[in-house]
Amino acid sequence: MISTVSKYVRRSPYQALSAALIMGLTFFAVTVFSILTILSIRFISYFETRPQLTVFFKDSATREEIRDLEKNLSDTQKTSSIKYVSKEEALAIYREQNKSDPILLDLVTADILPASIEVQATQAEHLSELAGVVRGSPLVEEVIFQKDIVDTLISWTNAARRLGIAVIAILVTVSVLVIITIIGIKITVRREEIETMRLLGATNWFIRAPFLLEGAFYGVVGSLIGGSLAIGLFYYFSPSFESFLRGVAIFPVSPIMMLELLAIEVIIASLLGIFASYLAVLRYLK
Amino acid sequence: MIEFKDVTKKYADDPVLDKVSFQIDKGSFVYLVGPTGSGKTTVFRLIIRDIMPTEGVITLGDWDLLSLPRSRVPHLRRRVGVVFQDLKLLIDRTVVENVMLPLEFSGMSEQEAREKAETVLSEVGLEGKLDKFPLQLSGGERQRVAIARALVFEPEIILADEPTGNLDLETSFQILDLLQTINKKGTTVFMATHNDKLISEATRVIILESGKIIEDKKPGEKSEKKRDFQDKDQLEDKGDKRQETGEKIKLETLAKK
Repeated sequence: MISTVSKYVRRSPYQALSAALIMGLTFFAVTVFSILTILSIRFISYFETRPQLTVFFKDSATREEIRDLEKNLSDTQKTSSIKYVSKEEALAIYREQNKSDPILLDLVTADILPASIEVQATQAEHLSELAGVVRGSPLVEEVIFQKDIVDTLISWTNAARRLGIAVIAILVTVSVLVIITIIGIKITVRREEIETMRLLGATNWFIRAPFLLEGAFYGVVGSLIGGSLAIGLFYYFSPSFESFLRGVAIFPVSPIMMLELLAIEVIIASLLGIFASYLAVLRYLK
Repeated sequence: MIEFKDVTKKYADDPVLDKVSFQIDKGSFVYLVGPTGSGKTTVFRLIIRDIMPTEGVITLGDWDLLSLPRSRVPHLRRRVGVVFQDLKLLIDRTVVENVMLPLEFSGMSEQEAREKAETVLSEVGLEGKLDKFPLQLSGGERQRVAIARALVFEPEIILADEPTGNLDLETSFQILDLLQTINKKGTTVFMATHNDKLISEATRVIILESGKIIEDKKPGEKSEKKRDFQDKDQLEDKGDKRQETGEKIKLETLAKK
């Protein structure tokens, strides 16, 4: 059976290449959007586990005044932790984040960085109330409400996901149609041979199986090409992404996770290939 | 072995077979004779259930072919070896691969199938041609490949549809000898021909004309009908020569590739 499939593929290499490439393109897109989904989940969960409210103070605010404000927040019983970050600590964090860029390090001193507190709420719905407590204070320069960031990220991620699903749906449809067409052409070309096999006593399964396996073959090869290419590019550009998103701990992504993703894609692609071939077989081998 | 009872086959409203009845016993050698278009091939197609009759009953042994489930049809076709009029050899497979083909359906291993195919090919005198392609063989050799392929399942019956149609008289007699040898080993042979010269008095002959049996001559009986299909034979010979030329051109093209 395998040798028959191999013969069918070798006899029409350009058709086989077209089928594998369209599958490759589809699974390249599937891999890209899967990686983006993994990264966005990590990105969002990173922000969700960070202090959910960051309060930056004016330079005139003293540590005592800030302590009073911290007490006001604690008294609400709705905070799980409050962490003070002084100007010096802010500079240390800044230096750590920009250690590879001496120009940026030279330009910044502790004086120009604000002191801040990072407030973790016990529950997400308490954030609005906690923000209300600090927003009215004359000591406060700016309040960064992490929930807003997370909500924005979620809405961006959902939009990207919807776009990804639409693109993948189109590519999957095109792949299925291309495989139906290619297998259909092959069945038509081999009609005489198929008829002879039937007259000699071949079962439907014996005649159909090589075409179904051929579809699976296109799926496997296509997903390996597309998946490997996308994963390879991701790892190649990972250092650049990491530098761009410095401070946001979403890297590294485990190679085992990527291999699992590839394995799942290979299984899905082979099933898709079999499905497309089965449609062709139903259409052309009645 | 095979029985046709009032079998009629119509395409649209045109009858190709009209209330045909006959019975063929196990181990016999029977000719089915008639001009082109008389319905000989239709009889064979009905026996392997390639088509269904419009009316009538067909049985093969204890199988009623009309009520045979579709899933059993491949099994029926393995009980019956067919030498097709156009041979139906696969030109991109070697001689031995062509003969191995039916064995592959039965799930036999490649090694076993090859050994079996080689044995049958040596029985039909093609032991030296195993790795040739059909277009590299003479007409008679191709017929032998088709016969070997029909024999490889050790069928109970061989249906040979004009197996000498493309051949000169000497080669035709060689093929006939081969079929008779097979018959002597116990296989029933049902052979369609329009070549009267091949038919001996000692065999049973069913004559078909316009879809009707006009004579069923038992072995040893003298035929009352004149079986003169000579003009049609000559026309078909010309057609065969054209086919030969076409195949030679195909072969040359393949060789160039």
